[in-house]
Amino acid sequence: MVQLKRTHISTLFPRLFLFIALLIAAAFALTSTLPASAENDVAPAAQLPDNTQCLLCHSAPGQTKEFSNGDAKSVTVDPQLFGEGAHATVSCQSCHANISGYPHPENTATTGREYTLQYKELCQQCHTVQANELMDSAHTKLFEAGNLDAPTCADCHNPHADKPFDKVEDGSLTGASHARIAGICAKCHSTIFEEYATSVHGSGVLIDKNPDVPACTDCHGVHTISGPTGEASFRLTSPNICAKCHTDAAIMDKYGISTQVMKTYIADFHGTTVTLFEKVDPDQQTNMPVCFDCHGVHDIRRADDPEKGLQVKENLLSTCQRCHPDATSNFPDSWLSHYIPSPDHAPLVYYVGLVYKILIPLVLGAMALFILTDIYRKVSRKRKKNGNNGGIEELQPPTPDFSQDSK
Amino acid sequence: MTEYQKEIMRFDKIRRIEHWLLFISFTTLAITGLVQKYPNNAVSLGIVTLLGGVQIVRIIHRISAVMFVLEAIFHFAYMGYQLYVQRKKATMIPGVKDVVDAVQATSHNLGLRKNGPKMGRYNFSEKAEYLAVIWGLVMMGLTGLMLWNPIFTTKILPGQFIPAAKVAHGLEAVLAVLAILLWHFYHVHIKRWNWSMVKGTLTREEMEEEHALELEEIEKGEVAAPIPPVVLSKRKKIYYPIAAILMIVLVAGLYAFVTFEETAITTIPPLEEQGTIFVPQTPTPVPTKAPTATPGPQAELPAGPLTWETGIGAMFEQRCGSCHGAMGGLSVKDYDSLMKGGKTGPVITAGDAANSPALLKLADGKHPGQFEPDELEKIIEWSNAGATQ
Repeated sequence: MVQLKRTHISTLFPRLFLFIALLIAAAFALTSTLPASAENDVAPAAQLPDNTQCLLCHSAPGQTKEFSNGDAKSVTVDPQLFGEGAHATVSCQSCHANISGYPHPENTATTGREYTLQYKELCQQCHTVQANELMDSAHTKLFEAGNLDAPTCADCHNPHADKPFDKVEDGSLTGASHARIAGICAKCHSTIFEEYATSVHGSGVLIDKNPDVPACTDCHGVHTISGPTGEASFRLTSPNICAKCHTDAAIMDKYGISTQVMKTYIADFHGTTVTLFEKVDPDQQTNMPVCFDCHGVHDIRRADDPEKGLQVKENLLSTCQRCHPDATSNFPDSWLSHYIPSPDHAPLVYYVGLVYKILIPLVLGAMALFILTDIYRKVSRKRKKNGNNGGIEELQPPTPDFSQDSK
Repeated sequence: MTEYQKEIMRFDKIRRIEHWLLFISFTTLAITGLVQKYPNNAVSLGIVTLLGGVQIVRIIHRISAVMFVLEAIFHFAYMGYQLYVQRKKATMIPGVKDVVDAVQATSHNLGLRKNGPKMGRYNFSEKAEYLAVIWGLVMMGLTGLMLWNPIFTTKILPGQFIPAAKVAHGLEAVLAVLAILLWHFYHVHIKRWNWSMVKGTLTREEMEEEHALELEEIEKGEVAAPIPPVVLSKRKKIYYPIAAILMIVLVAGLYAFVTFEETAITTIPPLEEQGTIFVPQTPTPVPTKAPTATPGPQAELPAGPLTWETGIGAMFEQRCGSCHGAMGGLSVKDYDSLMKGGKTGPVITAGDAANSPALLKLADGKHPGQFEPDELEKIIEWSNAGATQ
């Protein structure tokens, strides 16, 4: 460089230009092939250009990067949100390792999506656990099946603005965090979100901000999210999802909801079959209903909801008829609506059970008593006989003996 | 062979075959039924897995049930034959004597009586067991058919009969199985091994203890006189058609009951057929590109002698000042700072624009801030002239 600087300006400019261009090309080739590979260690923040240097330009609102297909991506970072966000202490270059200095190296992405996907493998450098969980998820499977729109980390989590989820002391999410989660999933699952919003769960999360009420991830899992799409195993294990909360008295007692729902479900035909299928043959397709077949999936309402609640007999009958088309008005009563039989609920069932609970010990007890007297006679006779004869067996006539019967 | 070990015929081949049919169907029903009653039990799970799943278990249960009922129909037909055609005594009917026998047997066991009761062809313990089987057949048959045809049942009866039938079916099964394990096993396997359902005979000694009265009758020769063949064939001619019609009606009824109801649809359509899962919200529009922030109105080009004070400084401030001077490093805020340079040293070589790093930096056109061409001309001119303040 020193040599170059001393040559005449007319020869200097083209050579210098070429040199810089080569340098840029080399740097770009290197960084674009390894934009986010695991060996691309996160450099200590102190060695990286100060974030303010990037924000100097990128804080200006309305900046976009345009792609050859016409896409435009906002490249504005709100310094306020970034400063309050989860990544406030992370240097821009930790993630954008392929960008240093200005002008930025040219990016080969031809679409906005392609640009986003360049950063797909980046998050796992720090968020290894979550990235590994994501590997088995329905979203990753979709992506691997060739759907490039399937979400990657940044589609749910805005790395430039999102704060950590608010939690209470015990580490569980607050009601507001539940609502925030539902909002994230809504970005792609908007019709499901609208259904959910009208449900007893959705209103509890979105309106009441009640942390007891499930948001999407409480049922579907967070990063491990498995697809409910047609897989028999999802259907068969799904009652456990509902049971997680609905058998927990600590939650249910607050709202006066029964915790016997799982027990009573398993005790009935449907639940018995589903339980056996799940344990013995989890991929078995079944025609037996699980919780959501009767109660709804995302549009679950209160049991006394006039429109869909199953306490309303017409609603229950039409629910039964979806699988039992010939069912008539008596038929729904054959399902005990999660009640344990008692003199008030299902008295016939209760008293039949009661009769047997008396009959069984009575009959078996009487049998056992007689058998005990019979054993007593046999034992005492043998003892008496042995006493009388000094232990010598009589030979004539041969006394009945267990061993002589089977010759 | 002593007198005590003499074999006395007790059950003909038909009765023994009936017993084995009952044994097979009852045992199969008990196993395949109890695993459904206690689905969470580890043993149940093992058995269900072994048999190939709960659907197969249910099919086996129903086949065994049909076998059990068919055996019962045959049993009653054969019983009718024995009672009507052969005119045998109805020795299974319980009576007062059985109650007395039971009391006497118990007091004998307790040493309160010297001898046990003398009992007939079927003693009280056998009658109890036989009647329990009949009771079980009726209860299990009725409740089983209700469970098999729940739609039809609830057209006639209140819905609650279905779960009530299920409770009765399950608990009756528990009662039956426990009674067999306790009563039947004790009397024919534990007390002594009774071979009569295999060989058809009991020893004289066994007969003496359990059927003394019948033994006396046999030994006195009090057996029924043989029926003349003419009478026998006449009775058969009457009995066979009646029995055949009854059996056909019963078997047809059973067939109807186990086949006519298609209770439920066979599969529930998977969820994704019930709606579209991926429906993105209307995307937030990408903000329209704002006008580039840096270029302002072009500064007036300095006229006359080119110095920092007379306009060069103003151009640097306008074109470069938003970065250089705001972020550390090179500052263009005043003449001294510019001439001092940045981290890599001076950026303006007085009198030699071609070797001024600042101007070289601008040469490739990629630096974010740029001078307008006529501005650059003035800067070069100023620089070549000695870059004066």
